[in-house]
Amino acid sequence: MKSNITLIFEKCIDEELNNYSPKMDVDVDDIKEIVPDFLLRKELPIPNVPEIEIVRHFINLSHKNYGVDTGIYPLGSCTMKYNPKISEIVERLPNFSQVHPLQDENLGSIELLYKTSKLLGEITGMEGFSLQPAAGAHGELAGLLIMKKYFEYKGIKKDKIIVPDSAHGTNPASAKMAGFSIIELKSNEKGEVPLEHLKYVMQEGDVAGIMLTNPNTFGIFDRHIKEITQIVHDNGGLCYYDGANLNPILGICRPGDMGFDIVHLNLHKTFATPHGGGGPGSGPIGVTNELSSFLPEPCIISIKNGLVCKESNDKSIGRIKAFWGNFGVIVRAYAYILALGADGLKRVGQMAVLNANYLRVLLQKKYYLPFKRLCQHEFVISDKNMANNITTEDIAKRILDFGVYAPTIYFPLVIQGALMVEPTETEPKRSLDNFIDIMEKIYEEAQSNPEVLRNSPHNTPIKRLDAVLAARKPVLHD
Amino acid sequence: MDFVPHDNKTITEMLGVIGVADLKELFQDIPKELIKEKLNLPPGLSESDLFSHMQEISSKNIIYSSSFLGAGCYYHYIPSLVNFVISRSEFYTSYTPYQAEASQGYLQAIYEYQTIISRLTQMDITNASMYDGSTALAEAAIMATLITNKKSIVMLEGIHPEYIEVVKTYCWGQNISVDITTEDKLLDQLNEDCAGFLFQSPNFFGDIEDISKLVKKIREKAPNCLIIQVMTDPTCLGVIKPPGVTDIDIFVAEGQSFGLSPSFGGPGLGIFTAKKKYIRKIPGRLIGKTKEIDGSREGFILTLQAREQHIRREKASSNICTNQALCALAALVYLLSMGRTGLKEIATQNFQKAHYLKSKIEKIPGYSILNSKPTYNEFLVKCPNIDSLIYQCKQQKLLPPLKISKYYPQMKNIALVCVTEMNSKDSIEAFLQATQVALNKRREVGE
Repeated sequence: MKSNITLIFEKCIDEELNNYSPKMDVDVDDIKEIVPDFLLRKELPIPNVPEIEIVRHFINLSHKNYGVDTGIYPLGSCTMKYNPKISEIVERLPNFSQVHPLQDENLGSIELLYKTSKLLGEITGMEGFSLQPAAGAHGELAGLLIMKKYFEYKGIKKDKIIVPDSAHGTNPASAKMAGFSIIELKSNEKGEVPLEHLKYVMQEGDVAGIMLTNPNTFGIFDRHIKEITQIVHDNGGLCYYDGANLNPILGICRPGDMGFDIVHLNLHKTFATPHGGGGPGSGPIGVTNELSSFLPEPCIISIKNGLVCKESNDKSIGRIKAFWGNFGVIVRAYAYILALGADGLKRVGQMAVLNANYLRVLLQKKYYLPFKRLCQHEFVISDKNMANNITTEDIAKRILDFGVYAPTIYFPLVIQGALMVEPTETEPKRSLDNFIDIMEKIYEEAQSNPEVLRNSPHNTPIKRLDAVLAARKPVLHD
Repeated sequence: MDFVPHDNKTITEMLGVIGVADLKELFQDIPKELIKEKLNLPPGLSESDLFSHMQEISSKNIIYSSSFLGAGCYYHYIPSLVNFVISRSEFYTSYTPYQAEASQGYLQAIYEYQTIISRLTQMDITNASMYDGSTALAEAAIMATLITNKKSIVMLEGIHPEYIEVVKTYCWGQNISVDITTEDKLLDQLNEDCAGFLFQSPNFFGDIEDISKLVKKIREKAPNCLIIQVMTDPTCLGVIKPPGVTDIDIFVAEGQSFGLSPSFGGPGLGIFTAKKKYIRKIPGRLIGKTKEIDGSREGFILTLQAREQHIRREKASSNICTNQALCALAALVYLLSMGRTGLKEIATQNFQKAHYLKSKIEKIPGYSILNSKPTYNEFLVKCPNIDSLIYQCKQQKLLPPLKISKYYPQMKNIALVCVTEMNSKDSIEAFLQATQVALNKRREVGE
């Protein structure tokens, strides 16, 4: 039987197509004179596909994909906000895009990196910044290596780190990559860090500190944040801020003022650079003055005659990526910060929280809400109230049928059947109302017609896929 | 400007639904002393003012008519199709395809990327991408330690110096020892405790290794050690033997050459491939083909997620979440546009043009080529006075080659020269003229 899928490889022709490479303008020896026979490859199984076929192939694939420009993308903790189009234009200015990372005449790029560091410093309340990390998890790794180096430098053995049960999965994974073992801290019934337990754990002595996102993944701002950082500091530890959830507090309050020592940001979340289907991102890290000399290499510093690049120092954790970080992403974030300015950034925080609470209040009429209080940028509901054992997965797949994307599901892990909803500040009320209508309809369907949910989605290019088969017999290429 | 779509009336209405009096009340959980009245930032800009500002700051960079600089970042022609496809906002404004049914387009594209890279490299499996070549190499080293349960890595001299630094940083995090060795001392360094042997070919100095020989040597001495190859410009695979036919365990590369602008060194593309037996230890996302649960149609899905951080947390094989998906899409479109014929053609042109310049430079008194092995598009030139050469290149509007003493202070007056298909005959002649003038100027000042 013929497959429903046509891969691009099936659209090739036998013709020797060569439409893009320049004409050879130098008189040269045959390749066989230059390259010894044992180095030559025998065959090159890459298809020759006519341009019209390539274009149609990808346009048709794009029709089977959903982006922020299509509609609401309420993925919790992913901050799927609108990506301004001007950012795409300025990133492609030839005097940015054509600059080599090792060339001398790079003042524009260096200045942009330096200014971005300063802007992020003011936004977060941190002293030193490195823009090297390529994504959030990469920033976490860099930040934790700074922690490790700091204690190594001080000659203190601290190899454990506290991660609350509500943390993003990258937190414990990054901590392990930096050589720490993990102490998981159970959130209390209000969704916050239990202070007494924290004190008890910190007094063990070998705990390097805590990794925290605030607001956390329940969308709750921990009211005792100052006490938390105080307890950790009193016991000789450092506080790490996971900036994945920075969006709602933009221009409202700052991790530095809360007492955090190390902060990573996700420029592809908070600062509106496109997620690109999962990257490229950028995960800058900010630190206190005391930790600045531990930042990755190279660092850009300001001196009397202008900006210079400092390649190395004794305390630095070293390089974590070749060259200068994801520069093209940083250009977009810089442009975004300048476009919004102080007032615009504050409005981001305010409207992100307004939109999330509006959804929360209207959805909790039907859906189970574990934490009944004001939320920040996101909130968690679950499948607990659903009739006929309808699951979170059923809800998510049915949402797709109505032409919108589903929230993050089954995360945070501590809430059974979680649906984590983050609308962001750029979602119009009309679109929020539409999402509420869809969710209410699904709630009704769970009672009246549960089969339609269990068999969903119906209106997507493909029905529910067999994940077990995919993992049991992995087919990763044709 | 901002991108909030509400008017005041809507905001008031929504506050009413929530049941709070004003926006401030939404932030009542935040301790008062933490509330920041106003950030010390400039006021916002309109789009036109922003554009002018960005143009002004970018104009402080200089771009050249032709480049002789490579060293891990290359100028190759980018077919217009690449930008056309990655500018489709259904792709670039989407996120990781967690909801497979609404993301079949991207999932299929990445599956095709995995396929085309596996074909190009002849490696069994390819992941959906890593950040860049340097971090892909570091993750490969970590992966080798997870597979072998050993904590020592040996690297062969000739790996990009910044990559070496990145591997060292990652390995320090997990108390893995790293040794750097030369070809002569290689066999002394390798032993049973070695988890992985890392080498680059074509290497940082341009040399192409005889990999079959190298692999044989290592397998005899340390049979359980994983052999890991890295490459910074994989366009050479249009002509030279792929890693998959030489028994390499893990092959990684920087994929910037496949349709991405230099962009001051990022974003690039970490290409990551391995032998099939390591499938459950590979870091990063994998797209698999499967079937509908209640149907016969085929589709694509994120698979083997039990390796990943969002499921396994600290037991994951890596912490990577966001990768470089859009860059992988660019690489796919690049490789398809070029096709078999185009890829072979540009790899051939890189070989030939570099070889042409090499043979001309050799004839200029005072200059010599230092490579003894075959080279691709980069090679080392010993110069009478490198600063003079760099100055003369800039005079000719040429981006000068790398002064290799930036990384190896003891290697004085040596240039790492890169020639690609983008270097026209005229630009090569201009470079030769610069070498000549640099020589004459030196004589004039009587050095």
